[in-house]
Amino acid sequence: MTLALSLIDIRVRFDDATILDSVELAVERGEWVGLIGPNGAGKTTLLRAITGAAPFEGTVEINGKQLLAMKRRELARSVALVPQHPVLPPGMRVVDYVVLGRTPHLGEVTGPSRHDLDVVASVLEALSLSEFVDREVTTLSGGELQRVVIARALAQESPILLLDEPTTALDIGKQQAVLELVDRLRRERDLTVLSAMHDLTIAGQFPDRLVMLSGGSVVAEGRGRDVLNPELIRVHFGAEVRIFDDDFDGIVVVPVRSQEDINASNPRPTK
Amino acid sequence: MTGDEIRPSRLHWWWLVGALTALSAVVLVAALLGAVHLDPSSVVVSLFDRLPFVDVDSGLTDREEAILWDLRMPRIVLGGLVGATLAVAGGAYQGSFRNPLADPYLLGVAAGAGLGATIAIAYGPSIPSTPFGPLPLLAFLGGIGGVAATYAIGYSVRAGRTAVTLILAGVAVAAFLTAVQTYLQQRNAETLREVYGWILGRLSTVGWTEVWMVLPYVAVATVVILAGARRLDVLSVGDDEAVTLGVDPTRVRLVTVLAATLGTAAVVAVSGLIGFVGIIVPHTIRIVFGTSYRIVLPLSVVFGAAFLILADLLARTISAPAEIPIGVVTAFFGAPFFAAVLRSSRGLGS
Repeated sequence: MTLALSLIDIRVRFDDATILDSVELAVERGEWVGLIGPNGAGKTTLLRAITGAAPFEGTVEINGKQLLAMKRRELARSVALVPQHPVLPPGMRVVDYVVLGRTPHLGEVTGPSRHDLDVVASVLEALSLSEFVDREVTTLSGGELQRVVIARALAQESPILLLDEPTTALDIGKQQAVLELVDRLRRERDLTVLSAMHDLTIAGQFPDRLVMLSGGSVVAEGRGRDVLNPELIRVHFGAEVRIFDDDFDGIVVVPVRSQEDINASNPRPTK
Repeated sequence: MTGDEIRPSRLHWWWLVGALTALSAVVLVAALLGAVHLDPSSVVVSLFDRLPFVDVDSGLTDREEAILWDLRMPRIVLGGLVGATLAVAGGAYQGSFRNPLADPYLLGVAAGAGLGATIAIAYGPSIPSTPFGPLPLLAFLGGIGGVAATYAIGYSVRAGRTAVTLILAGVAVAAFLTAVQTYLQQRNAETLREVYGWILGRLSTVGWTEVWMVLPYVAVATVVILAGARRLDVLSVGDDEAVTLGVDPTRVRLVTVLAATLGTAAVVAVSGLIGFVGIIVPHTIRIVFGTSYRIVLPLSVVFGAAFLILADLLARTISAPAEIPIGVVTAFFGAPFFAAVLRSSRGLGS
């Protein structure tokens, strides 16, 4: 078993608050692991720790190598992140934004080489972005923008791809399109994917395995049908759900109202 | 699709040639205009005469040569250095703080350097200005103190922090530093005139002394800032994302801000407080040529120099023989421009 990513006893504190507490996580090479959990569970912080952006205690190993022993550029050539809320510089064109992904491969002073531009061009083509190269990033629609941000991460040519809620701002069709794209790229480019996910049905359908975080700790881990159960979701999300599971459609998580709440909002007319 | 078909933004050599041509034209015009008329073709020949390995007779009299080379040219060159530095420093601050309104004048750098310079003038030994004397040193320390205070106050605001917050912090810091400076200035009435003339901004020089004094600082600051241009482009997508791209945002910001402050403090020490150059020049370049710092910063050096030489030309010719302080000229054009940038800046929330 070759581990792409190994987290051992990860703790993150900001001021006095504990954001992550003793998190353990192992991701095999080529695997897609989905991180789920309620708001504030620590999903984004976990991803930030793996990119080196959040200080942590514990051990993170990237392809068997200690993260803290890696140089920044080396880490960037190993791990790429698609952030949830990308910062869009006014006036920057799509091509310049995607070329930024080549930063960890460039020298201190030299600009992008012919090879760098070839990589960028092939990524743009793979993501059907060829016609957008000269558009300014601030003028893109949600779906176009998400593809551009993924393109920048892919231009890094890092074997590990982290995605922070990549589909939150998208309509249902764009959500599927983006996740199918991630799945296709994962197979074509042999990527390891760790994605924080918001929609539990989608989380049940795409990743190979799910990890549920709550209050900064891992509370459940396993295949979708093991982790997505109504009791866990009630305890950690405070939600009433019904789960439909069949071999053809996969797992479907549907929020339902409890009978008590329905009765409370529709009192029977009194005579 | 291959690499040939995409065109990332970059600085085209013909833009640079065009900018340098414009700068040369401005220098020539500034050399020709003044109280004493000089023959244009003789001036051109005399300029060429100073190039290495060129020896031609300009036909100017000794007196005319002296006017050109001891009065006009030092002032033109100093104006160019000051303008180039203020413009490139403005661009560097804007990139470091991801803030389109950042400017040495508005961040408290100039006021801090002013306070340092006043202390040097009022209490320092009256030795001639040298590159490593107390005046540039105190101006630099004051400038660093000013920008550090502005940054600390601006970023201590947690809720509702926007680009404007930093500028408001800069206004408060500048007001405080200016108050201290005014107090010191009143206490030392014998240097009042010297300090006052300095505050309004002036480029009147005594030969080449000031040029040699600022040159080492300006050169170091400019080289460091230009070398970091690509990292400022990376910083423009946010600190966390810069980290994921292998760039240390804290280090980039520190190095860039130190270099910009070093350059600003040095030029402020000789030229006084000249505002808005750092906003007008980089923003105009963004609109015309593109927003990448690999374009904005090098062109800011050239156009900043041309801009300030022109502003100085206006300052000394509009109501000749009297001179208007150059800071008044740049503020006259810069303040409305600042208002326009403020209006058009989208996404100012940081």
